[in-house]
Amino acid sequence: MKKSVLSMIVLVLVLGMFVPTMAQEDVTLSVLWFNDANESEVFLDTIQPYLDENPNIKIDMQVVAFSDYEKKIKMLLSGDSAPDIARVTNNQIPVFLSELEPIAPYIEDIKDVESAFMAASLAFAKNENDEIIAYPTEATANGMIVNKTAFEKAGVDVAEVSKTWTWTEWEEIIKKVIAVEGNPTYGLALDFTPHRFSTLLFEFGGRMMNDDYTAVNFSNEKTVETITWFKRMHDEKLIPESVWLGSENPAELFQAGVVACHIGGSWNINVYAKNIKDFEWMVVVPPKGEIVSSVPGGKFVASFKSSKNKEEAQKLMAWFSEDGPNAKYCCDTFNLSSRIDSSVEYPSNTSDFAAFSEALKATPVYVANEWKNPVLSQISPIIKEQIVLALMGDITPADAAAEIDKKGAEMMK
Amino acid sequence: MKSIRLESRSASRGNFHQLLAPLLFIAPAFFIFFWFIIVPAFQGLRMSFMDYSFFSESTFVGIQNFSRLMSDKVFWITVKNTIYYSFITVALLTIFSLIAGLLLHDNTLKGVKVFRASMYIPSLLSMITVGIAWRFILGDQMGIVNYLLRTFGHDGMQWLTSRSTAMSSVIFVSIWAQTGYYMVIMLSGLQAIPHELYEAAEIDGANSLNAFWHITLPLLKSTVLAVMVLATIASFKAYELISVMTQGGPGYSTKLIVQQIYQVAFTEDRLGYASSMSVVLMIIIGLFTLLQFRIVGSEYDYE
Amino acid sequence: MIMNNRNIFRVLHYALLIILTAFFLFPVLWVVLSSFKPQSELFQIPIQIMPQQWTFENYIEAMSRGDFVQYFANSVFVSVTATIITVLISIMAGYGFSKYIFVGRDFLFIVMLATLMIPLQVIMVPIFLQLKASGLLNTLWGIIIPPSATPTGIFLARQYMATLPNSMIEAARIDGAEESRIFFHIILPLSKPIVATITIFSFMWRWNDYLWPLIVILDDKKQTIQQALANFVGQLQINWSQLLAMTTVAIIPVVIIFLVFQKYFMTGISAGAVKG
Repeated sequence: MKKSVLSMIVLVLVLGMFVPTMAQEDVTLSVLWFNDANESEVFLDTIQPYLDENPNIKIDMQVVAFSDYEKKIKMLLSGDSAPDIARVTNNQIPVFLSELEPIAPYIEDIKDVESAFMAASLAFAKNENDEIIAYPTEATANGMIVNKTAFEKAGVDVAEVSKTWTWTEWEEIIKKVIAVEGNPTYGLALDFTPHRFSTLLFEFGGRMMNDDYTAVNFSNEKTVETITWFKRMHDEKLIPESVWLGSENPAELFQAGVVACHIGGSWNINVYAKNIKDFEWMVVVPPKGEIVSSVPGGKFVASFKSSKNKEEAQKLMAWFSEDGPNAKYCCDTFNLSSRIDSSVEYPSNTSDFAAFSEALKATPVYVANEWKNPVLSQISPIIKEQIVLALMGDITPADAAAEIDKKGAEMMK
Repeated sequence: MKSIRLESRSASRGNFHQLLAPLLFIAPAFFIFFWFIIVPAFQGLRMSFMDYSFFSESTFVGIQNFSRLMSDKVFWITVKNTIYYSFITVALLTIFSLIAGLLLHDNTLKGVKVFRASMYIPSLLSMITVGIAWRFILGDQMGIVNYLLRTFGHDGMQWLTSRSTAMSSVIFVSIWAQTGYYMVIMLSGLQAIPHELYEAAEIDGANSLNAFWHITLPLLKSTVLAVMVLATIASFKAYELISVMTQGGPGYSTKLIVQQIYQVAFTEDRLGYASSMSVVLMIIIGLFTLLQFRIVGSEYDYE
Repeated sequence: MIMNNRNIFRVLHYALLIILTAFFLFPVLWVVLSSFKPQSELFQIPIQIMPQQWTFENYIEAMSRGDFVQYFANSVFVSVTATIITVLISIMAGYGFSKYIFVGRDFLFIVMLATLMIPLQVIMVPIFLQLKASGLLNTLWGIIIPPSATPTGIFLARQYMATLPNSMIEAARIDGAEESRIFFHIILPLSKPIVATITIFSFMWRWNDYLWPLIVILDDKKQTIQQALANFVGQLQINWSQLLAMTTVAIIPVVIIFLVFQKYFMTGISAGAVKG
């Protein structure tokens, strides 16, 4: 499939050299992509109808490993070799913000785009002039996934209790659950990233930045309280130390039945649906703290100011972002759609996706607005380190928060 | 020192060809280095005096990066960790690769090919694969060692999670991953020692321990030096395996210089500051390398 | 009595080797065996070493993602070509550095060795621009030439040749042999062990090289096997099953090269050559 596309490109390129004048000029769009699963193939597959309709458009795709994806783009940009289209994450958009091409000049009415996507996704996709510079494709949400079977063994109907539970109730219930012989030994695992940690933090009513997003501000009562709570959970062995202190993967622990709950992202549905055979699991509403909150994230496609074929790239991206192609792409990659009106229908796990979607819709706007600030991505390793130091008891949670703020202030300069 | 005398004897006979020849021998390698590494490296050196980031104006700031480095607590923690890590790793790697080389030196040994290959294979795996394989062995919850300990009623150890064991575990795995590589270097050096010397020693009634001290070790000196220098450079630049296994944690326990450099360069987007760290790193490695040349001595003679 | 001692020694020798081999191979064995497990078996407690249900699916799926035959071919071409160049360049430079004296020799050698100490990723952008200026961007030659001059290879060659006696070279010069003749006819044949070592290493370095292709290649058709492997590691998920399967496939060529070339270790130096 891919090979035939490639050989066609070669053929057309060769022919192109001999036939310099053609009715419609051939354009080869360079596409830069990274994969979590097989998104690159699904993308090519999805845009095939568009390519059939526009035979002058060819695609030249390079897939680069995520760990070096940002470096690759930086290199390409400094060498004036920007790709025409690139897949970017919500963390990467702030990095390339000034380099991304606004989409408004290329479409009839920008309001159509404004109204088609979720507010959280759009928040990430705007530059400092409030111009949209990327099309949202799939969205991610953070939430809680539970081992339903383990709860059942403790006589708890988790689907029912999770409708209204608070963190205090959760703690009581989970202690019962892990006391049952043969059940998971730990209550909760949380991915080792500040992004997932912020799920807890926002739930507890905490903030990472001040109200006008001009400074990092972890030193507020609720955020410090979150870190304190997180430490207590570790000390009471409800959360395994091996994740934040030892880099064991929570998704693996959940699959192995070591933890009863996992605060992770919507992408886990894909893996769990495939791999978990020994017990039943489901996505639930996370326990209520001050509020119930998710943390949005997602992927986008964008073109650069220095791209050579902006016009054609923008046309293709606009087409790809319409409901039809978007729904197919999200369905085949097993992801949430960023579109409000999405007609995506998943072959399974519909209720799990719905639970994540609901959580996203309940999420306050400031969550996305905080995370779109580049400084949080830049100090992300420092946030991790300081929280871990607090967990180890080297410093107090308040000290950790103060240190994060200090580093943030240094980076904001 | 003796060899220098020997060499100067040969050089004193030097004609034009003998003066030009070494330059021609070195030229291809040098041109490639110069063009693809040294020229870009000077750009890097320049960056270390700049406030440099990818998409904003870069400005010269003089030695500001270096003076800030002096008071950067985390950087010096990573320097300390790296020196500790390197010292132990290099010492153990040198000893183990020498032992492995000696054990597998005998070509008539049955199955020697298979044994050699088995020890070499770990150095072929990418660090992420090594990381997952060892996490499967040393992991708190998912690890086989702890699984076995638990079946025998022990609680299990926090190999990678506790600050008292994390560094040792990481060093252990580094040794596992690299011994085979340095063993190959040792083997090539061992093969260069003429058998006649051992035969002569045996006739003189020397036992194998004597032969080792008086023949093998002196003649293997330059190989051992090569192993030590290469292992030192590699250890000072290590970060991949550790970032897979512990991400530098818990806390700063296993964080090494290069991980910090890449974090500052790419996550924090402060390339200038990262360059100044790289310059300091190079100076540290350079000093250790010179020290090794001094202690082991790069000279060799045959008498 | 002596015989007896020898036998005990032999047995101990083998016992030690077998223990060591088991230690070195066990994690590798886990990688290989796990590549035949369905993904659902990978993270399971109680831990199983053997697959309960053998499957080739990981291999089939991994191969179908992208044009692995092409990646493999690229990697073979790059590794073989680069290795030939590296061996030649290293042996020549190693000889130049060890058997001649000239002004600035030690300085040049230290400069070369120092390039090993640079964390390359920090100067990735300048390297990229330099490659672009040289017209090597997006060509396989761009992954072959720049890393082919490796300080490690030169250093190993220098250290090895240092142990070759100067007397032979002297004698040849007295006989009126030219410098190039001495190199090709006397030094090179004596250097088989180090040629084998550098061949084994260079093939492995280029085969496992990830950084240079990352900098140079802009086009899927020119990707190498290591880039394809790295693609199994995503932002949010790692495709362990396929990664392990392809890792297993990818180490086979390097092991073959090792097995083929290690026999040249055996051709150490003959008596006559040394006594010269």
